[in-house]
Amino acid sequence: MHDELFSPTIRDRPPPGRPPWRPESIVYPAFFGGPLAGALLGVLNGRRLALPTGQLLVIAAAGLAGFAARLAVGVFADGNSGVRLSGTICGLLVWLAVLAIQRRPFRLAVLRGVDPANLIGPGIAAAVGCGLLEAALILVLVR
Amino acid sequence: MTDTFSVLQRAQALLATGRAEQALTELSTLTANEVTSPYAMQLRCAALSRLDRWAEVGDAARAGLAASGPDPDLLLWLGRAEHEAGRDEAAERVLLDGLALAPHDVDLLCAYADLCLAHGQLDKAAKLVELAAARAPQAPVVYATRIQIAHARGDHREAQRISREFVGVHPENPAAHALLGGTSAARGQVDAAYEGFRQAAAARPTERAFAESAMELRVARHPLMLPLRPILRFGAIKTWLVAVALILLLRTAGLPVLAGLLGFAWLAYCVYSWVVPPLVRRWVLRMWR
Repeated sequence: MHDELFSPTIRDRPPPGRPPWRPESIVYPAFFGGPLAGALLGVLNGRRLALPTGQLLVIAAAGLAGFAARLAVGVFADGNSGVRLSGTICGLLVWLAVLAIQRRPFRLAVLRGVDPANLIGPGIAAAVGCGLLEAALILVLVR
Repeated sequence: MTDTFSVLQRAQALLATGRAEQALTELSTLTANEVTSPYAMQLRCAALSRLDRWAEVGDAARAGLAASGPDPDLLLWLGRAEHEAGRDEAAERVLLDGLALAPHDVDLLCAYADLCLAHGQLDKAAKLVELAAARAPQAPVVYATRIQIAHARGDHREAQRISREFVGVHPENPAAHALLGGTSAARGQVDAAYEGFRQAAAARPTERAFAESAMELRVARHPLMLPLRPILRFGAIKTWLVAVALILLLRTAGLPVLAGLLGFAWLAYCVYSWVVPPLVRRWVLRMWR
């Protein structure tokens, strides 16, 4: 047992790049901006946390699935409130997916002494940009 | 000629009371021969680490090892210095060299556990600290490492439980109080957290991190921060999900006006949670200075 414990398992990690955002904070842009905003920030943050590509793809897929669900609501529901509401709900679901993947790596980064970056600017930009993009796509594709 | 033994004793006493600069001054009175003795080098490394001068810790440990050959304690300091410098593969090699000399050394086991923890290898870290705990279940470093592992697992309740035990066994240890403060803060218990860091800062006034954390918690205890307690206590995730579920519930129950009002109140609350904390922090800091 000792032999196994006392054999090397550590690999030098690449020098730290940009500090990650707090995954919990992504709730705001995801709530106001919708699934694409949540997924975009989730993927960017995943890169900052140096997550494997597979996990980044899962986040991106969750964002696209959320947007597809919104499109479906746009096709079948009358009025705008359903589409708006589905944006909020899908955004929150994408955020939960981001959290499930990033909470632990983020905690470890903080344990290593990393100071989380400020999400206010990028968060507002993602919420507004992706929110408008989703609205435009829904208008063009299904309305 | 200085009496080496009493110099080392004085340096150790200064270090124990957190006066690392003075300990270094004391050690500098040793002659060139005595300076590189393993024990003098260990004290020097300990003092430099307190001052966060990790590059010099590495140099001192290397000089000590070059002068007097492999020594588990100096290897421990070199390993920690390499880890601080971000050369983790080298740190692991050095710590494993130390463990080859002293497989049951509690400090080496915990330092290696710490390194594994930083790389997300929680199971290995837990096994290493178990070995250390079998040797010295009540050693401060064992408590501290167990708390870090529980924290990394996200088990804040367990982390706080171990911190309480740590404070119970070592009520005089500032790090124990600081860890109890930190683990209480992670559970949103602001008052307990403040108390922990206050006691830590009182016991070791020279440690800036303790005073800064106590300061941050004074901000969190400010009356204007009271409305934000639910977020601290239950975490952002639960409060958000509860708020959104309530809004949706009201909508589906056919009360769109109430749902709209609640939605607006929630938005205002979110804006409050962004705007007020920095303002309170600035205000409290100004009062402090």
